[in-house]
Amino acid sequence: MPAHPLRVAVVCSSNQNRSMEAHNILSKRGFDVRSFGTGTHVKLPGPAPDKPNIYDFKTTYEQMYNDLVRKDKELYTQNGILHMLDRNKRIKTQPERFQSCKEQFDLVITCEERVYDQVLEDLNSREQETFQPVHVINVDIQDNHEEATLGAFLICELCQCIQHTDDMENEMDELLQEFEEKSHRPFLHTVCFY
Amino acid sequence: MMASGVGEQAHGSVASQFYSNEEETAFDMTTSEKVVELLNQAALISTEEKLIVLKQVQELIINKDPSLLDNFLDEIIAFQTDKSIEVRKFVIGFIEEACKRDNELLLRLIANLNMLMRDESVNVVKKAILTLTQLYKVALQWLVRIKSVSDMQEACWDMMTQIKEDVLALLDSDNDGVRTHAIKFTESLIITLSPRTPDSDTPKKQEGDISLDKIPKDHTYIRYDTLCEEGKSALEQLLKFMVHPAISSINLTTALGSLATLARQRPMFMSEVVQAYETLHANLPPTLAKSQVSSVRKNLKLHLVSVLKHPSSVDFQGQISTLLLDLGMSQSEITRCTPATVQPRKRLHHEPYVEGKRIKMAEDDEDKEEPAPVVTPKPSSSVGTQSAIDLTAEFLLPLLTPDNVANLVLISMVYLPEVMPASFQATYTPVESAGTDAQIKHLARLMATQMTGAGLGPGLELCKARDEEVKEEDGGAGESSSKDPLIIRKLSAVSLGQAISVVGAPAAYKSPITEEAPQIKKLPEPILPTSQAPGASGRKKVFKLADVVQPFSEAQIEKLSNMAIKRILLSEKVIAQSGMSHVRVKLLARLVTQFEGGKKNDLLQFILEDMRGRSELAFSLLYHEYNEYLSQQPSGSLDSYEHCLYTLLSGLQEKPEQRDGLFTKLVLEAPVITDSALEVIQRYCEDESRVYLGMSTLKELILKRPSRQYQYLNVLLNLSSHEKEKVRSTALSFIKRMYEKEHLKDCIEKFALTYMQFMVYVLIFVASPWTEETVRQCLYLYLSLLPLNHRLVHELAAVYTEAIADIKRSVLRVIEQPIRGMGMSSPDLLLLVENCPKGAETLVTRCLHILTDKVPPSPELVERVRDLYHKRVPDVRFLIPVINGLEKNEVIQALPKLIKLNPIVVKEVFNRLLGTQHSEGSSSMSPLTPGELLIALHNIDSSKCDMKSIIKATNLCFGEKNVYTSEVLAVVMQQLMEQTPLPILLMRTVIQSLTMYPRLAGFVMNILARLILKQVWKYPKVWEGFVKCCQRTKPQSYNVLLQLPPPQLASVFERCPEMREPLLQHVHSFTPHQQAHIPASIMAVLEANSRKPEPEPQPELHHPEIIEEREVPVPKHISMPAPVSQAEPPAPTPVEFTEPPPAQQQQIPRREEVEEPMEPVQELTNDFNLQQVEVTEEASQSNSISEKTDEPMEESAARPVDVADQPKEESEDVLPEAGESSVD
Repeated sequence: MPAHPLRVAVVCSSNQNRSMEAHNILSKRGFDVRSFGTGTHVKLPGPAPDKPNIYDFKTTYEQMYNDLVRKDKELYTQNGILHMLDRNKRIKTQPERFQSCKEQFDLVITCEERVYDQVLEDLNSREQETFQPVHVINVDIQDNHEEATLGAFLICELCQCIQHTDDMENEMDELLQEFEEKSHRPFLHTVCFY
Repeated sequence: MMASGVGEQAHGSVASQFYSNEEETAFDMTTSEKVVELLNQAALISTEEKLIVLKQVQELIINKDPSLLDNFLDEIIAFQTDKSIEVRKFVIGFIEEACKRDNELLLRLIANLNMLMRDESVNVVKKAILTLTQLYKVALQWLVRIKSVSDMQEACWDMMTQIKEDVLALLDSDNDGVRTHAIKFTESLIITLSPRTPDSDTPKKQEGDISLDKIPKDHTYIRYDTLCEEGKSALEQLLKFMVHPAISSINLTTALGSLATLARQRPMFMSEVVQAYETLHANLPPTLAKSQVSSVRKNLKLHLVSVLKHPSSVDFQGQISTLLLDLGMSQSEITRCTPATVQPRKRLHHEPYVEGKRIKMAEDDEDKEEPAPVVTPKPSSSVGTQSAIDLTAEFLLPLLTPDNVANLVLISMVYLPEVMPASFQATYTPVESAGTDAQIKHLARLMATQMTGAGLGPGLELCKARDEEVKEEDGGAGESSSKDPLIIRKLSAVSLGQAISVVGAPAAYKSPITEEAPQIKKLPEPILPTSQAPGASGRKKVFKLADVVQPFSEAQIEKLSNMAIKRILLSEKVIAQSGMSHVRVKLLARLVTQFEGGKKNDLLQFILEDMRGRSELAFSLLYHEYNEYLSQQPSGSLDSYEHCLYTLLSGLQEKPEQRDGLFTKLVLEAPVITDSALEVIQRYCEDESRVYLGMSTLKELILKRPSRQYQYLNVLLNLSSHEKEKVRSTALSFIKRMYEKEHLKDCIEKFALTYMQFMVYVLIFVASPWTEETVRQCLYLYLSLLPLNHRLVHELAAVYTEAIADIKRSVLRVIEQPIRGMGMSSPDLLLLVENCPKGAETLVTRCLHILTDKVPPSPELVERVRDLYHKRVPDVRFLIPVINGLEKNEVIQALPKLIKLNPIVVKEVFNRLLGTQHSEGSSSMSPLTPGELLIALHNIDSSKCDMKSIIKATNLCFGEKNVYTSEVLAVVMQQLMEQTPLPILLMRTVIQSLTMYPRLAGFVMNILARLILKQVWKYPKVWEGFVKCCQRTKPQSYNVLLQLPPPQLASVFERCPEMREPLLQHVHSFTPHQQAHIPASIMAVLEANSRKPEPEPQPELHHPEIIEEREVPVPKHISMPAPVSQAEPPAPTPVEFTEPPPAQQQQIPRREEVEEPMEPVQELTNDFNLQQVEVTEEASQSNSISEKTDEPMEESAARPVDVADQPKEESEDVLPEAGESSVD
């Protein structure tokens, strides 16, 4: 078992729902976790599907929260967005963009294939220095509250299993195969280097 | 808190934070003192704290005060034996930092790194590899700078080279992570050991890194050529590693990335890289799981794009974009990733690919000896592979005609695996441009790649030959330059290896380097406890077979034997070609019968995949199984055989479209049919599409396997009551054929009877009521046997008498067909009629009806029925079916009883008698002519039958207008009129005939006149009718009236006073001569209003209802012909006729009234209800016809019928009027 806790990054598109749900659970279980989004903006559902609320990554959760309360408190309470933002602001101040983070991780977990592609593209475009490997695993999660919660538990279980391996890199393949069978979903998995 | 601290230290400079904190608390200390104190602390505290402290020390002596580095080096290095992995990893990190800070330290630390490389923890080894990746470059750069290399430095480099080889060897490590790190090391090594060129895409941070081009060719120790060779060999190793069939997904991903980096940073390798990608894409390792395949493909795409973006990919754009297309990228996306400079080429797309290749090949040929324009000569072997594929592809291209390709596909079909491998499934993209030149070229290349990989093809041979030449030439030229350093390096490597393993032993070596070797090794010596040394080198083990070879586990044995059998299975085609398939079949059957479970199922599955082609195998297996069973007698079990047979049969049964009789063959040739097999056969028979084949098989079984024939027969018998019509009827027809066999007859009969008896005995157990369907199920078999064996009919009668009413009803419905089949000449049927068991009357009646429905009854049948009727059951209804077979007087005798039955039955009787039944032929048989019938009705003794029924019966006759034509009626009237005494209903019939046929009026006048002669007034009822008739037929009747004797004429006027005046006027209109003929007495009656009473006292009314009845039509008839002139009398009548519905309602209760006294047995009611149900259809038809015809017809014609149907109602209404007229 590795002496240090896994350094985990959970990445979704807007660093609001899926990644934050997982961030929440993983940090409660004692992981060294950070969460990110890969999108160019932070998007939250708006009054209509074609009218999302768009923020940049500098906007804090608090500001978004206040903005939405002002716009339509009823609606955003009802669809759970305010509740989510409230949770998020207790975890950290603002969403973070994966591409802007230079910290190194052992494990990056993405929440959908598009995000996985973006993470891979970013990691591969970086100049290699230390050759320190980072495993990137994609766990497909639909972007809604329920799936996010279920997905977060799955991610957490996965991280715990990885954490408990004697030799993570050697056992990762097999572990993921088992997980695929158990959870009936395919995981994309690759390794990149810092 | 602690945890996160440790975590973050690795990737930030947080250590300095701790350091500064520490500094604040101990601000007075010198750096050196601080380090000492920290190191002292570190020896005592826990791992996590130790790491923090050590990081502080590192920060202090490397960054803050490097002068201290040398002093404390040994103290830090001492931690390399720490128990904690993390601490040991820290030491490696420290070595890296220290050596980067002061390259000279390499001399002292390289041996320690070497030792840590062999650490027992993979994580330490991995860290060491990472560090080595950096330090290799550092060391090379450092040495290159030095003009004159010392012995110690040489030894250091040699060790570095040795470690490098060790890491390359780790590509074959057991550990996935270690291999991954080794790949990355190899990548970095190749980049270092190859020249950077202007088109190299070098990351900024590695701008200053050493590479082959910076190495002076005249260096005293470092040999340019050697390094170049090493680089090439590393690349070869990497490429070889990549094509390993069992490569893990992560290693593959890593290698793909490394190749992309190589291609971009060293475009000279572009060709090898693209080719490796091509090979990989065509041969994804079969071991990959599905999701891994998609991951790998994703990576391949990503890296191909990054390679494509490099300007030097120009020559390979064709190949790369073909690959990308295969990977699911769209052409437009590919175009977007293609460097702009190649725009003109891109338009041709596929063309440049070939052209480029050709040019390249030409170059290759020319440049055999000369280095390629990209400074370095290409590694000869890879050039060989490259051109081998090209050559083979060129060779294949013209051969790929549609015919050849089709043949190839057909041949390779045989070798396709049963299950689509995940890699194929994921990589398969439909061939978009099949048949185009581009696609054929692509195909040729794919095949060439495969062939070259397998060591085949003309290209490879050509290349081999060429390589040999090249080597010879190279050998001559490069001997002096390349051989020497190689030897030196090897020597030193060997000696170093020994030095390491024998720690601290000073050895006397001849070469100058060896003197230095102990020094290199001495460096870690003070730090190393002597006991540690064997640990480091203790990895070498003596080879023992037992250590390496372990006994297989059960599962492994199982797996291996399964695979062995599978191979025999799959070799079907090959063996068939060699003509030894019988051996294979025997072998398989023998082998498999000896194993349990999986293998058998595999084999069975295999057989079922192509049962037709593998039937020989199937039979062989089956016989072997049976043989196995026999050999184990008496204790042997049939289970295994049964399973085999069962699986094969059900496999065939479940497969659609298997019409070649294989199933039959298997069943008939199986040594034993087990119960479960029989179940499958039954299922097979129940399949509507195969029922015939199934039952033929079953029949064969029954006839040819006498030992269990009853069991098989039972299956067939059971199917005879199957719910599917087709199954049932087929089963029945088979059984019928079996029934002819004497020895099966009993069994079948017994079964049928048992089934039939269910109707009586199962009654108690069946909760749900008997439905027609269930009754039918019990009877199917029986009824189909009945025509074959008439004797059985008595059994039915026996069961019938005991069954409940519902069942009886159903039975009566279903027996029609078979009874008709038996025919009325059947002695057994006649016997049944003769005996007519008590309770089976309805059954017999039904039989009679069925028999005589279409055909006139035979004399024998009539005889039996007559007998039955007279001697045993005097129910007149028995006679109905055979009524046409009876004597005339018998019919007349029975008439009173018959017409008292319910109207529908009466109607039927009349239909039979009058021949108005739907069928032909019976009318000719009728014992009575229509006229005779009507006359017989008039002559029925009123004591035997009430007048109402008679009237209804006559009305039925009048209803048959086709039969009772005016001529018939005239004859009837004539005959009736001649009778003495006159029949009561005479005048009613006369009036009714007149209504139907007004043209009979003249004839009627004649009748009336003749009646006067017969002193009609002596019959009160008839007389009454006479008057009405005259009333109706005036003025024709005036002449008749004038013939009446005066008292009777007066009586007429008494009844109808309004007649007098017109008659008088009629007389007045006579010529005087004519008037003279009128007797004076008559004239007196005409002119004077004489009040003479009736000449004779009215006799008592015997039949008051007759008057009513007779009265009924009268007012109506009167009203009808003269509706305008006589408006008053008809007033009440229309009211009556506007309400036909109540009349119909009344029919029902009345029918019951009539029947009640008739019913001898309760069941009979049911029976007749049943018949009514059937007859009502006809009745309703005729009703509707009459209803329709009513409308156009004169109402008067319809009325009598209607009236007769509702006598009560009418009598109430009509009575007052009749009363008036009669009282007056």
